[in-house]
Amino acid sequence: MGAIVVAVDGTEASALALARARELAAQQSRPLTGVFVIDAGWADFIGNDWQSSRNARQGFLDYVRGDQERHSECARIQFSEVCAGTPDASFRIVAGEPLDALAEFVEHEDAAALVMGRDSFTACGRPSAKRLGKLLARRLRQPVYVI
Amino acid sequence: MSDAAVSGGGSGFLQKLPGAIPGLVLIVGTMVVIRYWIEPWMSSAVLFDQKGWLVKVVHLNYILLGIIFGMIYRNVIFGGKLPNLFVDGFRLSRLFIKTGIILLGSLYTVQAIVQLGAIAIFLIGGFVILSVVMVLWLGRLFSMDRSMTGVLANACSICGVSAAIATAPAVEAKPAHVAYAVATILGFGILTMFISPFIGHALDLTDLQYGAWVGTGILNSGQVLAASLAFNPNIAPGTAVSVAEIWNIMRVISIPFAVFAVTVWYWAGAQGNGGAERKTIGQLFVEKFPVFVLGFLVMVILTSIGAFGDVGMKGGPAASATIKMLRLWMTWIFGIGLVGLGGYIDVRELAQAGGTPLKVGLIVGVTKYVLALLVVLAIRDYLVAI
Repeated sequence: MGAIVVAVDGTEASALALARARELAAQQSRPLTGVFVIDAGWADFIGNDWQSSRNARQGFLDYVRGDQERHSECARIQFSEVCAGTPDASFRIVAGEPLDALAEFVEHEDAAALVMGRDSFTACGRPSAKRLGKLLARRLRQPVYVI
Repeated sequence: MSDAAVSGGGSGFLQKLPGAIPGLVLIVGTMVVIRYWIEPWMSSAVLFDQKGWLVKVVHLNYILLGIIFGMIYRNVIFGGKLPNLFVDGFRLSRLFIKTGIILLGSLYTVQAIVQLGAIAIFLIGGFVILSVVMVLWLGRLFSMDRSMTGVLANACSICGVSAAIATAPAVEAKPAHVAYAVATILGFGILTMFISPFIGHALDLTDLQYGAWVGTGILNSGQVLAASLAFNPNIAPGTAVSVAEIWNIMRVISIPFAVFAVTVWYWAGAQGNGGAERKTIGQLFVEKFPVFVLGFLVMVILTSIGAFGDVGMKGGPAASATIKMLRLWMTWIFGIGLVGLGGYIDVRELAQAGGTPLKVGLIVGVTKYVLALLVVLAIRDYLVAI
């Protein structure tokens, strides 16, 4: 039976989505899967900068990776706390372009639905994260709940 | 979790080269089509009853077309993301631009650099201080996050994206905030890149005046290069690109110092000890100094001692065959590099820029852009041509 997948980023933005996803999973007796996306698009995002030294560029990307790892840990803790006692709940971290990574994860898991906050991943992502929910709703055949 | 998740790729240049071939073929092929077919067609095409309207009125040339094609590839043909097949080739375009800048050193002698550099230091220094003070003041006015203010101060005052990413780790800026600063700077830079040639021609600016203006007033370095070549695609001593790039080199050299200054400012008012490692000016210099600037300076010295023959300075002997060949190469190298750079302009990201960074960035950017033009016009009699 397909799981209810919820995008979690460890911030307030995903707290409501997590609560809603938990309700849905309980109502439909489905597993609940939390997911955090490590955004792999940062190197591309700063690709327009041609003149930084290699150290400066890599230093920034390492700094971003550290930030993403911190956010993924916050997301894992948030999910564990909210879902303590919830049967069949699991948390996963995936990496890639957030839109593609989330869509592929939902499809690969053959999920029943995706739930995410309106501002999920905006605290740790690039400006395009603002439109993530809208774009996923267009792309996925599963229902997408943007809270 | 993959270590390479947000890395820029770590293997060596020669290992990457085969993977870069498809992207390079696309980029080089695009520039060949533009220069051999599209440009000649634009020069002869009759639009609105005028022959060559696209060139004479719209001021389209191979540089602007290259960037537009790069943008079309990414945002229209590839649907917003470069396909893996072309990624390495597009990434290599940065090397083309760095190589072009190094070769650009053949336009100058040490004497010319000193002449131009003196004015550049005066203008750049003044505008760097003005921009930093404005951002710090506006940051306080809009209650902007202190680390965000630090990043935006350097991004608006030195050279855009490079300064933002060099400063962010030192002031513990949130990457999401840096992304908004980068989107703001790039968006404004791209707008000015397209409108500056129009304004320059409308005001009948000389190459010297135009180069000094865009070298001072445009926020991001890639757009300084593109805007100056879009105004005059010729590469020779005294052309817009030769002036603007001296301004740009001055800005690039100042990155480590600017990062240090903003870091000192940030820690002076930061709460607590934070997790960021504080670095000395020496460490920052080693980490942040762009090595291609040294290549540029070596090229200037070689040119000054006559290693490539006569440079073709105004009033002097004509340029040697070697120098002419280097200049021809540069037109191709910059053209190819800018197609690649256009491929990194993601309209979806720029369209989502907003909030306080956008407000502050636009206020400072517009002020700097307009004021730089006024100052250049005011001191035009003191600008020294090379």
